[in-house]
This record gives sequence, structure tokens and C-alpha cells, in this order.
Amino acid sequence: MEIASHITLAALGQQILVGLSRTTILFIVSSGLSLILGVLRIPNVSHGSLYMIGAFATYSVATLIGGTTGFWLALVLAPLLVALLSLVVERGLFCHLYEREHLMLLLFTFSLTLVFGDLVKLVWGSDFRSLSLPPTIQGSFTLLGLPFPRYNLFLLVLGPLVAWGLWFLTNRTKIGKIARAAAVDREMVAAMGINVSWIFAAVFCIGCFLAGLGGALVAPTQNITQGMGHAIIMEGFLIVIIGGLGNIWGALLGALIFGLTDAVGILVWPQFAIVFPYLAVVVVLLFRPRGLLRSTW
Amino acid sequence: MKKQSWLAIYLCAALALMLAPGAALAAKTIKVGIVDTYSGPPSTYTNDVRDGFKLEVDKINAAGGVLGSKIEFVTRDDKFKVDLGLSAAKELIMREGVDILMGTINSATALAVSDLVKNEKIPFFATFAKTDKLSGEKGHRYVFQITENTASAGKAGAVGLAKQKFVKYWIAGDDYEYGHALAEDLWKNLKKLKPEVELMGQSWWKVGEPDFTPYITSILAAKPDAVIIATGGAGCVPFLKAAKATGFNDKVPFYMHTATELSTLKPLGLDAPEGVIGSSNYFFYYPATPANKAFVEEFKKAYGREPKVGALYGYLTARFIIEGYKKAGALDKEKLINAIEGMTLDSPVGPVTLRAEDHQALLPMYMGVTKKAPGYDFLIAGDIVTISGQDAAPSLEDIKKARAK
Repeated sequence: MEIASHITLAALGQQILVGLSRTTILFIVSSGLSLILGVLRIPNVSHGSLYMIGAFATYSVATLIGGTTGFWLALVLAPLLVALLSLVVERGLFCHLYEREHLMLLLFTFSLTLVFGDLVKLVWGSDFRSLSLPPTIQGSFTLLGLPFPRYNLFLLVLGPLVAWGLWFLTNRTKIGKIARAAAVDREMVAAMGINVSWIFAAVFCIGCFLAGLGGALVAPTQNITQGMGHAIIMEGFLIVIIGGLGNIWGALLGALIFGLTDAVGILVWPQFAIVFPYLAVVVVLLFRPRGLLRSTW
Repeated sequence: MKKQSWLAIYLCAALALMLAPGAALAAKTIKVGIVDTYSGPPSTYTNDVRDGFKLEVDKINAAGGVLGSKIEFVTRDDKFKVDLGLSAAKELIMREGVDILMGTINSATALAVSDLVKNEKIPFFATFAKTDKLSGEKGHRYVFQITENTASAGKAGAVGLAKQKFVKYWIAGDDYEYGHALAEDLWKNLKKLKPEVELMGQSWWKVGEPDFTPYITSILAAKPDAVIIATGGAGCVPFLKAAKATGFNDKVPFYMHTATELSTLKPLGLDAPEGVIGSSNYFFYYPATPANKAFVEEFKKAYGREPKVGALYGYLTARFIIEGYKKAGALDKEKLINAIEGMTLDSPVGPVTLRAEDHQALLPMYMGVTKKAPGYDFLIAGDIVTISGQDAAPSLEDIKKARAK
């Protein structure tokens, strides 16, 4: 297989930018996964289902309100709905299980994926849905002589904003500091007279909000369908593992590696592009079996 | 509350007991079993097969049935899984005692069921599986393909593209049986019809790929004359979205087999890209013949929506079964097969022949270009070129060669 002559610097630069916008989605989803993993010590398998619910909710809100405002409002409301759902699940079911052994929690989140899957079937049926972007953000502009979709630019701007927001939350707010402390020593924090249970609920909600946000952001670019969470949950866990379990910056680094190897692989060797991100995962784990950054586990 | 529900169960059980011997005494019914995917994205296609089939069956039953016997059918959801589909087919044969099987949008399931009916000697009408092995390499007496297959779609695509001026091509598609088979058949035929074409490169993505943008931008960077997209089913919708977002269709023309189909274009509304070349067995608006108009009206009246391509497949299957039994003059499976081999039926797309040699329904293929049209809130196909069923289907020599292997 020859390396084709069409790989110019401009094409590579553009491909990297496209890859970065995909990285945004991966980062948003896997940072939520990592947050819950780090503080609550739960590998939340149902994260992908919440992502799916986020996408379906975006479709419903956007079509209910309609127009450009409907779309932007949906991007905000749908993740909030997902967060609300997760709050109900956490307070109603999850908070009674924290003392159980690890396998139980894992099985519980797995059973949640089945419940959520059926919930989506009940509410939205088994047909797939398709949502269009509002006209203002449709189409593309020319960048380095090649077309670049406007929506991808929006994602590129949003990614760093979410990363900054998470940094601010964990480092500059009281709840973030307590959550980090609770991640290290749950009993000590409780001994200080802090209600750890509610901190956990808040962190769980924020993590699930991010899953919903990821789903909302992909809603206009792909089919909203049953099972759309399966692929993302696998990629999410891979990213969290190569980044370092429970480390949000690890999730960022992992998402960058995953998203960029994917995009560049497609340009360089399109016939076998599927393997590139997974190859990167293998290479990272060979040299850093515990992930690139310090794991909180 | 609880008492009432128990009462209901007892009543149902009692009713079932009363009805069971009664049903056995009535005139023998023709029982058809449908195994298909009724959950997830494929249901967009399979629901139309079932509804098109039901429409014809209801009509004949209302008129007293075939040879005095009513046709009844049962459905099973295979969830797009081979093992579930195969066990459902077995259950339908053993427990339900069906006379005929049909369905299976999943090609792998279709081949598995085809193997099963070969031993069980039950006629099986494959209504949406596109693998050309069904009527080609693995064809046999008991299997019928009432849909286009990858060989005929590829051949039709090649006939259409050979008329265009493009020379340098790029091929991209779903990395599984359907994508590769379609691309391979198309390229083989195109090369034969127009030897100067050259293949610049290929991209293959996983089935259900969520984001096509990086693939499209990398193809655009290579600057081919035209691109052949071999992606199937529901994947067409997000692909066309990404094509619109990147302006793909404005820069490089591309052909995607089912791009012009209603199932692909309707969900996108007026946001679908214009100028995409696609092909399909059926449009509700073309050909504008009285037969097609009557079919569309009837379907719309029954289900409140326009028929998609699956409705044609379901309609044809029902009609072959009905006309086959009528011609055979007896409710006998072997006689039914003999009767429909080589049979020609009138249909919404004109006369359709079920080729005797390979049991392939010779359906015309319509190649067109997506465009906006007044009166539609979605894009339709324009500039339609018809490739006849005989031209699109693989030649009998090719079938013989494939079966000799």
C-alpha cells in the first residue's frame, strides 16, 4: 500500500482539526465516565445509555420547540434532563448500594443499561430518528483550501470550554475540593462532618450530565438510534484506561490520542483506518499498563 | 384488580381451548411465517415488506381466499441476529407448521434459513437480503430472491456510471459483506464497460460509523473525479448529512446505491444534499403509471404513509404465492414451486419475471439524481434512467459459473 501523494500539509492540518472536533465528543463523554469512576469508584456501564437518552431527548426538545432556538435550547435542556434522571436513579437506587461489593455495583450499572434501553423503546419506539442542524450552522467554510463544517468549528470551541469548566469545578469550588478529598479517603471526609452521600449524588449527576451533553452534541450529525451507546461506551472505557482511571486530564489525553489517530489514520491508510485508534491503545498499555497519567485508584 | 386479571386469563385460556379444535376442523389455511428484523433501524424497511404483503393477503382473503383457503401469517423478530433468525425459522416450521417462509433483511440470516429450507423442503422468499449468493452460488430449488441483490445493484450502478465522463474513482463503504460485495460487483462491471477507469484508493469504515466527516475530508483531499459509496441501510442518512455539512456533493459527484430511496431521503427533509446519484427498485412517484398510482393510493389508505421499496417486495411475494397456488391448482409446495418458476406478474413497476433458472425476481432498477421538487417536503429522484430487470441481473452464464464452484 503506497502512501498516496494527496497527503499535503494542508490536508493533514485539516484532518487534524476534524479529528479534534471528534475528540471533543470523546472527551466530554469519557470525562464524565472518569469523574464517576474516580470519586464514586463505579465503572458506570450505563453511561452509554445516558448518552443515547441525551440524543433522543435533544431530538424531542428540538422538534417540540422547533427552529434555531429549539435546537440551542435542546443542547442545554437534554443534558439537564439526563442529569435529572440520573439524580432519581442515584437517590432512589444507587445510594443504597455503595457499601456493597464491587461486582454488585458493576452488575447494577449493567442492568441499568437494559432498563434505559427499554425506557427508550417505550418512549421513542424502535425507529431511528434524525435531527437537522439549524440553517445558521449548516454547511461549511473553506479552510486551507478544503471544506470545514461549521458545526465542527462549534465543537472545537466547546471542547476547551468544557475542559476549563471541569477544571474550575474540581479545583476552585468547594464541592469539587470535597469530591477530590472523598475520592482519596471517603471515611475521613465523612468524619469531618460532611455529608458524603450528597457529594456523591452531585458528582454522579455531573458525570451523567456530560454523557447527556455528548449525546446531545452528536444528535444532529448521526442517526439517533437504539444501541448508539454501545460503541461510545467501549471507546469511553478505552480512553479512561489509557488516560489513567479516574483522572480527568487522563481522559483528555486519551481522547486526544484516540480522536487524532483515528482521523490521521483515515487520511494516511483509509483501507485499514479502523485499527489505528485501537493500535494506539495497545501501544500505550504496553508501555504504561496503568495509564498515561496517575490513576486515582 | 388482581382478581379481575386472573379472571381474564381464565377466560382467554377457555376461549383458546374452545377455538383450537374449531380451527382444525375449518378448511386448511395457507400459513406463511415471516422472520425479519422488527427492532432497531432495519424496521424502517421490514415494516413495509410486512404491510405490503398484508395488503394483498387481506384482499384475497376477503374475496374468499386461494382455492377456497385463507392465507394467514405470523411474524417473528430476529433482532438482526443470525442465531435468533434461524431458531425462529425452525420454530415456525416445527411448531407453527408453516407452509412458506419469508423475510430476513440480514444476508447472513437469509443464507442460514436458505440452508434450513433446503433440507425441510419449504419454499422461502427472501424479501430484503441483498447477498447475491442467495440466487447465485448458494441457490437451490426452495429459495427465491424477491429483491435486487448486490450483483444486480452493482451491475445497474456500473451501467449508469459508464455513461458519465468520470475516470478517476474512489471507493468507500461499510466494512462488511454488503459493502464489499456491492463495491466489488460495481467495479468489476464498470471496468468491463469502460476499461479506462482507474481506482485511486479506498476507504472502509465500520458498520454504524457515527462520524463520516474525517472520511469525507480525506477523500476530498485526494480529488477523485467521482466517488462510489457502498454503505447500506440506515447508514445512508448520517452519510448524506456529513456530505451536506462538508459540501461533498458540490465538489465531487458521488454515487450511493440507495441514496435516492424514500427511507433515506424522507428523514432528512429538505436538508438532504442535492445532486447525489442513487438507484432503487421502487419510487412511489415513478413510474407514474396507473398501476403504480393505484398501489400507492391503496397503501396510503391502509397505512397513512407512502409505500417504500419494501412494500413492493412484500406485494410481489404475496402475489407470487397467490398466483402460484392458483396456477398449481392444489395446495402443494412442490407444485407451487413448479408454477412460479418463470412466472411473470404485472406489478406497480410493470411486468416482473421470476427467473426459472436461479429464482431471482427480475426487477427494474431506477437510477436518478436527488433534487428538490414542488409539493414534496423532502428530496426526490429526478432525471431517472431505467435499467431493465434483464440488464441488471447477472447473466445465466455467471450464475452457472458461480454454482459450479
